[in-house]
Amino acid sequence: MARTVERVSPSVIIAAAGLALVVAVPFVFIILQAIFPELGRGSLAAPFSALAGALGDPALIGMTGNTLLLGVLVVGLSALIGVPLAVARALFKVPGAVVWDLMFLIPFMIPPYIAVLGWIMALQPRGYLEQLVGVNLASFLFSVPGIVVIMTLNSFPVVYFAVSRTLETVGSRYADVARVFGASPARAFWRVTLPLSTPGLAASLLLVFAMAIEEYGTPAALGARAGFDVLVTAIDLRVSDWPIDLPGAAILSLVLVALSFGAFLMQRWILSRRSYEATTGKPQGSPKRDLGLWKWPVLLAFGLVAFVATGLPLLAILAGALSKTISGGLVWSNLGFSNFAAILGDTTGALKALGTSLSLGVATALVTGLLGALSAYAVVKSKVRGRGVIDVLTILPNALPGIVVAVGLILAWNQPWLPVTPYNTALILLLAYCCILLPQPVRYATAAFHQIGDNLEAAARVSGASSLTAFRRILLPLIAPSLLAAMLLVFAVASRELVASVVVAPVGVSTISTYIWRQFEQGSVGLGMAMAFVTILITTALPLIVLSLMGRRGNLL
Amino acid sequence: MLKTAFHASVAATALFVAGSALADVTVYTAGPEKLIADLAAGFTAETGTKVEFFQATTGNVMARIEAEAANPVVDVLISASWDTATDFAARGWLEPYTSPNAEMVPDFLKTDTAVAQGVAALAIAWNPNSGTPRPTEWADLAKPEFKDLVNLPDPAKSGSAFELVAALSAGGDMAMFDSLSANGAIVAGANADALNPVLQGAKAAVFGAVDYIALNGQAKGESIEVIFPESGTVIAPRPVMIMEWSQNQDEAKAFVDYMLSDAGQAIVAAQNLMPARTDVAADRALIADLKILPIDAAGVYGKRAETLEAFSKAFAQ
Repeated sequence: MARTVERVSPSVIIAAAGLALVVAVPFVFIILQAIFPELGRGSLAAPFSALAGALGDPALIGMTGNTLLLGVLVVGLSALIGVPLAVARALFKVPGAVVWDLMFLIPFMIPPYIAVLGWIMALQPRGYLEQLVGVNLASFLFSVPGIVVIMTLNSFPVVYFAVSRTLETVGSRYADVARVFGASPARAFWRVTLPLSTPGLAASLLLVFAMAIEEYGTPAALGARAGFDVLVTAIDLRVSDWPIDLPGAAILSLVLVALSFGAFLMQRWILSRRSYEATTGKPQGSPKRDLGLWKWPVLLAFGLVAFVATGLPLLAILAGALSKTISGGLVWSNLGFSNFAAILGDTTGALKALGTSLSLGVATALVTGLLGALSAYAVVKSKVRGRGVIDVLTILPNALPGIVVAVGLILAWNQPWLPVTPYNTALILLLAYCCILLPQPVRYATAAFHQIGDNLEAAARVSGASSLTAFRRILLPLIAPSLLAAMLLVFAVASRELVASVVVAPVGVSTISTYIWRQFEQGSVGLGMAMAFVTILITTALPLIVLSLMGRRGNLL
Repeated sequence: MLKTAFHASVAATALFVAGSALADVTVYTAGPEKLIADLAAGFTAETGTKVEFFQATTGNVMARIEAEAANPVVDVLISASWDTATDFAARGWLEPYTSPNAEMVPDFLKTDTAVAQGVAALAIAWNPNSGTPRPTEWADLAKPEFKDLVNLPDPAKSGSAFELVAALSAGGDMAMFDSLSANGAIVAGANADALNPVLQGAKAAVFGAVDYIALNGQAKGESIEVIFPESGTVIAPRPVMIMEWSQNQDEAKAFVDYMLSDAGQAIVAAQNLMPARTDVAADRALIADLKILPIDAAGVYGKRAETLEAFSKAFAQ
């Protein structure tokens, strides 16, 4: 086994090739589109002619400011809710911990466009809340604080899961050492435990920021009425308002990418300042402590957050799904299972859409999981030159609005000179989902790698393992809990991705989200809500079954 | 695990690629899904030619055609906005064709390169359970009884809503919309986004709802009434076009013929759209029953940006 150390590990090569295919290709075409307005028609005429128009738009500064504000507020509120819950979950014996994990997992499974419609139907005048208790919260909902709260309820679980998992890895061992040296419990937590969980916190906050500035559903549904325009809504208008302005949309997307890139640089700067290795190969048990007197307040906090973030939207969706007519409201005579019967009886093509989306979700989870682990390895553990580029490629898609990814993919893969192309097959959807969702596994795996000591891999290599074997037998199992959690998220999100699917779906192929969206578009809100509810059930149950079959414990969530 | 994951993804890939043969005719449509699904099934049953379709909003269909322009796949395009037919004809993207079945389609619903499949009209969609008096005119929705209770579809997102705004603000007079705005009316997304709050009762009426969607809701038992003001409204004919680049011209023409046949027009009527042919009956108000506001298409679309800006100024808070 005489290999030179300088040789590039095959895992890095696979990562680079995969990233080039999944991320770089559509991104390059978006840049080309921004430069060459006529690209769609196969012409490179008039380069840069669209730049001035798009960047000179006087509304641009306001929209960029709004986008930043939204991102920062959602990140702040997500941390405020997610971090304390995660600390309690990771370091103390919280009764029913697995149940709370499940409750906080469900907001991921609720498609944002459904969640926001559920909130509107619950809180608007004569909505479900007013029908039940006589008040409505419309003025709160259609305001900037309303948008921030709704988006936070969708995204704080990212922080919760990342931080609680990282803190569990750190455990109380290091804090105990600090205690031995005389630190108070609070001081040991603030100075030792929390700083050691920085990778998870920073990674999750970065994800939340990127998700917030890229999300379309909530700002579009609530922001327009609050007079709150963000970049994504402006981009969507350019792609859906005739005459279509693809170059303008591409240029505005690059502004979004720049914002996200700034956040990414900040995260990298924070992580590069010191080492966060907590898994050094020494066996460790991390016994959790009793909450004591704090048991009831902590349970109350968990219960309240779970009810607002998961219970309320689910109930609103269920109410919509069970209503025969929307105008009939919440009275017994108007409730029934006819919408569910229509879904399960497959009179409307719903089951085929479910099958398509679920298999795409599984495939996306596998591809992004593999690619994510390899990329994170290349970035954190290898010393390859250009690993910074790999890191950038893994965060790029997070800032690209789904609709722009879709346009980039069409531009790239519908070139007449290509001998074979995934375009107009379901494979193009797989490419789109992989591109959009790759950042999730990468961020989770990166955080996990940051905590693994270099000597573990070195020990395997010294003992004769090839680099791939060391990756497969040593590193992959160590990051598996984080990676698997991320893959489950990818599965859930890919199963219901809307914005890119609507544009890029092959002719004749329906996904869950395009199905739901068509029902809404044609006024069958109940049918769409029923489909959404079935989807949430399946995307929640399937990962749980997988986990229990694999014999893992609840802390995987 | 690495290997297993790899094999699984390869297998999944193979599965996806296998399922995709291109159809005989590819239709992109902005119409209701049920309509194109029924038309495709009927056409295949009659001719044996397979139809694959892509259905989305007019905007998304256009974005896809624009992005695909270097290597287009679409044979037949059905838009929800007549403007598309004019614009694509000017670009030279359309194949001239006059179907023998188009004889009974009135002249204003056909050109050399496009023919209407069916026609929608804009109306007031009013919830009778809203506790408001039944409106009969556009101006009624600016009355105090409708304070804060009116939704308008966004003319930037809906072609037909734009034509209504243009028709009601002839000569740049935005008075109607100023009074609506002063009365608390709001602009609420595309057509469906404007209608849903009215169904639940959060709002009482839509100013300029697409009639067939509301009529379909009514048929399902929703509390909604469609009112065509006597002062007039605008119609939104849905043009069908054969693309000049289509490799399947004969099949595409046969599809257009089928859509304008008795059977095809009956399917259109079943969706509560007005059939394009005047000799096909439908269970709803027809073009002849409505007063249509005159629109000078060239002039109106030439000033689209100005009209939209004046409109959004009227509704700026």
